[in-house]
Amino acid sequence: MKPVYVAGAAVHPFGKHPELNAAELGYRAVHSLLETTGITPDTVDTGFAGSSYGGSLLAQRVLQRVGISGQPAFTVENACASGASAIHLGWQAVASGAADAVIAFGAENLSSFGGGTLPLTTNDIEIEQGMVMPAAYAMRAQRYLHDFGATVDDLTAVSVKNRTNGALNERAHFQHEVTAQDVANSRPVADPLRLLHCCPNSDGAAAVLLCSQEVAEQLHTPRVRIRASVVRSGTFHTQYRDMTWPDITERTAKAAYAMAGLGPADLDLVELHDAFSIAELLHSEALGLAERGTAHRAVRDGDFDRHGRIAVNPSGGLMSRGHPVGATGATQICEAYWQLTGQAGSLQVPGASVALTHVTGGGIFGVDNGACSVHILTAD
Amino acid sequence: MTLPQTQPAAHQIGAHWTHQDGEHATLTITLCHACSGRWFPPRDTCSTCASSDVENITSHTRGSVYASSVVRIAPRGFQAPYVLAYVDISGVRLLAHSPSSDRALAPGTPVELTVARIADTPEGAVTSYVVTALDDQHTTTGEQ
Ligand SMILES: [Zn+2]
Repeated sequence: MKPVYVAGAAVHPFGKHPELNAAELGYRAVHSLLETTGITPDTVDTGFAGSSYGGSLLAQRVLQRVGISGQPAFTVENACASGASAIHLGWQAVASGAADAVIAFGAENLSSFGGGTLPLTTNDIEIEQGMVMPAAYAMRAQRYLHDFGATVDDLTAVSVKNRTNGALNERAHFQHEVTAQDVANSRPVADPLRLLHCCPNSDGAAAVLLCSQEVAEQLHTPRVRIRASVVRSGTFHTQYRDMTWPDITERTAKAAYAMAGLGPADLDLVELHDAFSIAELLHSEALGLAERGTAHRAVRDGDFDRHGRIAVNPSGGLMSRGHPVGATGATQICEAYWQLTGQAGSLQVPGASVALTHVTGGGIFGVDNGACSVHILTAD
Repeated sequence: MTLPQTQPAAHQIGAHWTHQDGEHATLTITLCHACSGRWFPPRDTCSTCASSDVENITSHTRGSVYASSVVRIAPRGFQAPYVLAYVDISGVRLLAHSPSSDRALAPGTPVELTVARIADTPEGAVTSYVVTALDDQHTTTGEQ
């Protein structure tokens, strides 16, 4: 396989943008990417869009507005992992030698659904019964607290940490800190989770330029190398499963660590899928960042702070940034790119040279999650 | 042919694999003879090994709670709050409502299967298999 680089990143700030549809949000991110990298439309070989609700032919709708017209374009749907899946396909194209320059982006406008929990797909027995994502994570939380002696205060500590980080992120949906009391006072959503244990539904877009070494050397932008790009699906069964252990994350991470020749101890920062505060505990353990059943203590001890042992969600995570489903995986790559190129400003993790991004997608009967993607990036 | 005019019938989720016997209910579970996999809802082909050498068996009437939550912001068609639980029964784990409780059931709580209303829609009531806690300290009586 050929080495694959990220040579540019752009984000349309996340938030409530009811007047901007997914294609408009995507266009703004991709247009900004062309401006910052200086790449010309005719040198882009192919493009991939990730979105769950952005509609048919989103890739064409966005790319054709910036002159990338005639080249192959693809739109991929993998729930919350859609954007990361688009990047994975772009990585495949460059790694295989089929393409030298690829634009991969994610875009989503969830405001079009109004408030409340997201409408999940139909033809799923649990969704027909009234299952919603907060309830799925609430039950995993209840069981985690039961099995490992953690408390609701431990869940709250994740929210406080990530909202503190996000207070410095100008691209985040929420840019202010919250206290433990704020979390405790927020509206109950699905016991034991309250509103501030949950990420907000948001609108936004993020885009990256993936390229070969030859193209990277022609551009005058900082670059980082993708050392691993892995996507896995959930393993399906209906027998007793340990819902405090997201095996999809473990399997995806193991494959990524093997591909990169790196392990959890090598990581300086991790952007992981904290759609709910319990998710940071479950996924950080499955990624190997903390021993089984101890992530809540790692958060309490400051291990996951920006200046801690390993920075987890230094951008503020989904909890602050918001979660425009298909854009989330792409924006994690952008945040990692800025960290590894020393451009993260007040979010900067000192000396960051190795980053991991992780996103899981989808409430689906019989599996942890429908899809999971892990990327590992290095400064060179 | 003219269809008879009737009141909107209650929709029963899982009617094909739910069996009522007075107060109690049982479920149809598929057992794969090739790999010993167990499946609920039942199926013709094992989703682990693709074997068609499967047999449908009947579940116990009792199981135990793996995890539970009270949903307080409901999706369309449901009225919050309502209690959901993952329940382990006869080798499978299934999602069920617990309409007789107003708070989350603790892990390990023994439960019994019944059939009850889980939602109201403009087309009528929706019923399904549900669970009732057998341990009184985890339940309260009354509305939802
Ligand atoms: Zn089988």
